[in-house]
Amino acid sequence: MRPILLSGHERALTQIKYNRDGDLIFSVSKDQQICVWFAHNGERLGTYHGHVGAIWTVDVDPTSTIIASGSADNTIRLWDIKTGKNLKTWEFPTAVKRVEFNEDGTRLLGVTEKRMGHLGTIVVLDITVDVDAEQNDEKALTIVCDESKATVAGWSYLSKYIIAGHEDGSISQYDGKTGDLIYNIPIHELNMAITDLQWSPDRTYFITASKDKTSKLITAHDLEVLKTYVADTPLNSATITTKKDFVVLGGGQAAMDVTRTSARQGKFEARFYHKIFEDEIGRVRGHFGPLNTVAADPTGKGYASGGEDGYVRVHQFDKGYFDFMYEVERERQNRLG
Amino acid sequence: MAAQAKHDWADDEDLDETTTATIDLPPPQKITNKDGSTTIIEYRYNDNGQKVKTTRRIRFITHREVVSPRVADRKTWPKFGLSAKDGAGPAPDTTSVGENIIFKPSVNWRKDAKDESKDPNAQAMKDKLKDKKVKCRICNGEHFTARCPYKDTMAPMGEGVDTADVAAGMGDEPAAAGAGAAGIGKKGSYVPPALRGAGGAAGGAGERMGGKYGERDDLATLRVTNVSEMAEEGELRDMFERFGRVTRVFLAKDRDTGMAKGFAFISFADREDAVKACNKMDGWGFKHLILRVEFAKKAA
Repeated sequence: MRPILLSGHERALTQIKYNRDGDLIFSVSKDQQICVWFAHNGERLGTYHGHVGAIWTVDVDPTSTIIASGSADNTIRLWDIKTGKNLKTWEFPTAVKRVEFNEDGTRLLGVTEKRMGHLGTIVVLDITVDVDAEQNDEKALTIVCDESKATVAGWSYLSKYIIAGHEDGSISQYDGKTGDLIYNIPIHELNMAITDLQWSPDRTYFITASKDKTSKLITAHDLEVLKTYVADTPLNSATITTKKDFVVLGGGQAAMDVTRTSARQGKFEARFYHKIFEDEIGRVRGHFGPLNTVAADPTGKGYASGGEDGYVRVHQFDKGYFDFMYEVERERQNRLG
Repeated sequence: MAAQAKHDWADDEDLDETTTATIDLPPPQKITNKDGSTTIIEYRYNDNGQKVKTTRRIRFITHREVVSPRVADRKTWPKFGLSAKDGAGPAPDTTSVGENIIFKPSVNWRKDAKDESKDPNAQAMKDKLKDKKVKCRICNGEHFTARCPYKDTMAPMGEGVDTADVAAGMGDEPAAAGAGAAGIGKKGSYVPPALRGAGGAAGGAGERMGGKYGERDDLATLRVTNVSEMAEEGELRDMFERFGRVTRVFLAKDRDTGMAKGFAFISFADREDAVKACNKMDGWGFKHLILRVEFAKKAA
């Protein structure tokens, strides 16, 4: 496969998101702009301007009408995808590290940083998915994380729970309506921050990535660890592919943690694991910095990775990828077919 | 609803050709082949003024993809923000195509990658030396001969010397000589005459044409044979200097390969020292060979 290199950013990438149809890619970086690209050929559709700080996070609503972004300038902004217009800005006392729409796009959660005497919080905003609508100023819900700040969070199926990953390596489950804490379970090693949380297509389970060099598949309902993927480097991101039962992990030794890193030692590769068998089945090299974010195309045809090196690499899988099967899988297929 | 198959920008020809010297160039040709592909022959001048003919065979494949109306509609959206001025298709300053990556999932991925990454030569050498053990030629202990506690009191054991393995031979290199010899000892690398022998403290003195030290004193010159190919003059000098002042070391070397030919001459300042050295060093193991030391015969 020949990856498409997107070099629209001047600083490290922080998050990449595909829209639900898989034809648009949204990328945010520390250089204060959001870019939107066509996934099929890497053409840039446009950029969204207004943030005055590093942008940590972006999410797109299910109908691909609006996007939300969270930034170190202490705001969450809502944008019109088509025109690039800033529709709404919410201000917070600290930086916003993660935003995510729920399944129907009516609610948006934001994770705010713990800083300057403010505790880390998860806020919920009511959203009207319409470019012309007046958005609600008030927060619908605020969850305060007084133990350890939340680094990532997301909505489970039917917006029933809010799942949050914490800096101390634990996972919390909050009630999606009332915000009450239901569970808090230490999943990853103590004080190894959870760096990413991405959902399966039906949002019944999710994958985490952690600095403790592992990634775990966890159910949303009772926080049961289904699978563990062990890597040899701190992980920054993990995603679940559709069509094939794989997961993609991204990470790498950060330059600030070592004196010298070469591309090989630094392990700046996207790692593919089999979702069920937990085996590593391949790596894709290319970045010359740690991978900060990976995102799988919801149509299963490709994936994109964003690195500390400022590049987004969009990959379209070729035939060998789709043909790969374990012997047991092939036998089963033969029996059924 | 079908999205119109787009002309792929990757197939676009570069239009940055200079129009300065195209007068006497044959016109570009376009030939449609039977199998549906097109052959394009172009001529141009390169930077050195040479005429270059470029033949390209291109096959256009129309790839139709059915997408949802929403996706098709989005493809017609006008660009905005920093891309507002970009034309249709990906802009070259933001989008490029990376080099081809072969990615084939495989269960024994780790094994495949390992074979590829390791340098085959280094691996072969390692494998060869893996089972070898360092063995002292004096006492058969597990240390280099040079480190043997009995080094000064015992001669190397008579037997087993011939079969001493590679590892032991390598360890025998006297440490002191190593640094000096390295400068002149690199095989194949050219050393200017002025620098020859500089590392080995007049190591190249023997190569100078006669005269400087006057008449050679053949009475105090030893002929050393069965010298290892890998020997260096500096090493020989270090070995023989223990017995007295060495005035000259000559190690015959092959002109082409720079390897020692297997014999050397050592001149001592004092004949007494030469006798001592002859007695002690005859039969001494050096680089997995046993030296044979005798007095040099008068040159004919």
